[in-house]
Amino acid sequence: MNWLSDNVNQLALLGAAAILILTIGVAAKYFKQIKEGKSEGELKEENWDGIGEYKNNSPIGWSLAFIGTIIWGVWYWLVGYPLNAYSQIGEYNEEVKSYQAKFESKWANPSKEDLLGMGEGVFLVQCSPCHGIDATGIEGKAQDLTRRFVSKSQVLDVIKRGSAALGNPNGQLGYQLGMMPPGLLSGADAEAVATYVANGFKGNNKGAELFQSACASCHGPDGRGMNGMAPNLREYDDPIISHVLQHGKQGIIGIMPSFKGRLTKVQERAVAAYIRSLSE
Amino acid sequence: MFGWLERNPFFFAVGVFVVIAFAGLIEIVPDFAQQSRPVAGAKPYDLLRLAGRQVYIKDSCNACHSQLIRPFKIETDRYGMYSLNGEYAYDRPFLWGSKRTGPDLHRVGNYRTSDWHANHMWDPTSVVPGSIMPAYKHMFTNVTDLETAYAEALTVKKVFNVPYDKDIDGDGKIDVPLGSFEEAKQRALQDALKIAQETKRKDLVEMVKAGKIPEIVALIAYLNGLK
Ligand code: HEC
Ligand code: HEC
Ligand code: HEC
Repeated sequence: MNWLSDNVNQLALLGAAAILILTIGVAAKYFKQIKEGKSEGELKEENWDGIGEYKNNSPIGWSLAFIGTIIWGVWYWLVGYPLNAYSQIGEYNEEVKSYQAKFESKWANPSKEDLLGMGEGVFLVQCSPCHGIDATGIEGKAQDLTRRFVSKSQVLDVIKRGSAALGNPNGQLGYQLGMMPPGLLSGADAEAVATYVANGFKGNNKGAELFQSACASCHGPDGRGMNGMAPNLREYDDPIISHVLQHGKQGIIGIMPSFKGRLTKVQERAVAAYIRSLSE
Repeated sequence: MFGWLERNPFFFAVGVFVVIAFAGLIEIVPDFAQQSRPVAGAKPYDLLRLAGRQVYIKDSCNACHSQLIRPFKIETDRYGMYSLNGEYAYDRPFLWGSKRTGPDLHRVGNYRTSDWHANHMWDPTSVVPGSIMPAYKHMFTNVTDLETAYAEALTVKKVFNVPYDKDIDGDGKIDVPLGSFEEAKQRALQDALKIAQETKRKDLVEMVKAGKIPEIVALIAYLNGLK
């Protein structure tokens, strides 16, 4: 009888016995009533095909509860439940607000690991269908984000068409300097600068010189965009990611849709950090 | 009183109906007329998009995709703003769907592009490794049935007074022109050419230039318009 030492088993056994006794008792009571019981009481007037019904008033407690419910129902309809008190959207708004507050306080000062983790998550959900899980742009279908400029022709296109090559001649990405004018250089000069920029600012003396004279005034002598005045041409810094996410981009590869309002500031920083980590 | 009800089955039935319908009535009726109006900015489908919608229905995309973003943070984070009743005012029938084997598509136009759709419909695994969505290669050669789409547009215009050829937002311009079939077809061909070019597939561009719109182009027009 080892299993009886377990008190859960003891309780279960006790319960089973109680149920059995009650069942037998109740069944016996009704059997007795069927055998010996006599009907008594006053019949109602109406009968259905000769089958009558006793006058059988409802118990007081039950009646009170019933009337109480009706009164409560009227109160609830008129006072307790004003039609506009609850709205699904209201609940949604509150849910989002409280979540956002929690999110912001939790990630007020994210560490580098936090950012990379969050950035990878955002990237896999929102960006990988176009840029690929490894961010190489799925064989040219979108920008290869593991390097700043993939092809010389991309830079060349911007030199030729200026801001129009990014989707909007009026300066679409929203940098402080606004737009980039078209046709700053042409022919072999443009080729040389484009090669220099696409190679990550290496080699090519002619390109380097031309960059200093034609481009450095806006993009900075080091090509890093002078703290967000113009795009950083050497790496994906935070401003460029957030500008592209805000405004989208339309270049020679294709259309990058705008993510305006879809990511929080921290998420933008995180995805930027993640993208930078890919080229390190 | 209950005895009386029991003896009068008709009034008993009326009573039962009122009691059961009560909650529904006070929840639905007061807001219904307002909620079912088109939201500001809603416009009927132009011919090409309507044809694309018919392709969407024909190929049962709604068996795997919903078009209804619920007001939950997890959904609005991924798909964007929750859906409103009035956005479906011109959907006949609406395509809410009831099962999400794939993601919701109600705002897919905001975050996918023509070329992406073309790649994805041709071979989903080429952009989403491991995707279980079937490829729809036949859409790249099948020609869109513009006649049926036009018939649908004309019918809803005449029968339900859907505002084709009308100035909806009050800026003095016609918002969604329909006109005669020839006019509508020319317009659809122009829209189709733009989309075919965006997909960067020469075969599609050539078909459109030859006056035939492949189903995929109409479908992409429809998907791009889901915003
Ligand atoms: C007048 C200031 C100015 C000059 C000079 C200038 N740029 Fe720009 N550049 C900009 C601005 C502003 C943008 C962002 C444009 C926009 O938002 O539309 C930009 C964008 C670019 C981009 C696109 C960046 C991206 O993220 O895709 C490239 C590439 C580029 N410039 C290269 C050059 C080169 C090479 C030169 C020299 C030939 C040059 N720029 C000269 C202001 C300038
Ligand atoms: C619908 C497909 C699509 C999605 C989704 C997408 N991108 Fe892009 N993205 C593109 C394409 C196409 C380009 C290339 C545009 C061009 O220059 O022709 C691009 C370019 C870029 C660039 C380069 C911008 C520059 O100025 O050089 C960055 C950075 C970028 N995307 C980041 C992201 C991030 C981060 C996400 C996710 C939050 C994302 N993209 C989601 C298609 C997409
Ligand atoms: C068997 C179920 C199934 C059917 C039928 C189906 N899809 Fe899908 N769809 C999926 C799955 C699963 C995904 C997610 C994986 C992917 O992106 O390929 C998806 C993804 C998509 C996406 C990308 C959405 C996003 O947010 O990334 C689009 C657009 C899409 N489907 C359109 C369609 C269209 C149009 C049809 C009808 C021609 C269709 N689907 C039919 C299962 C299906």
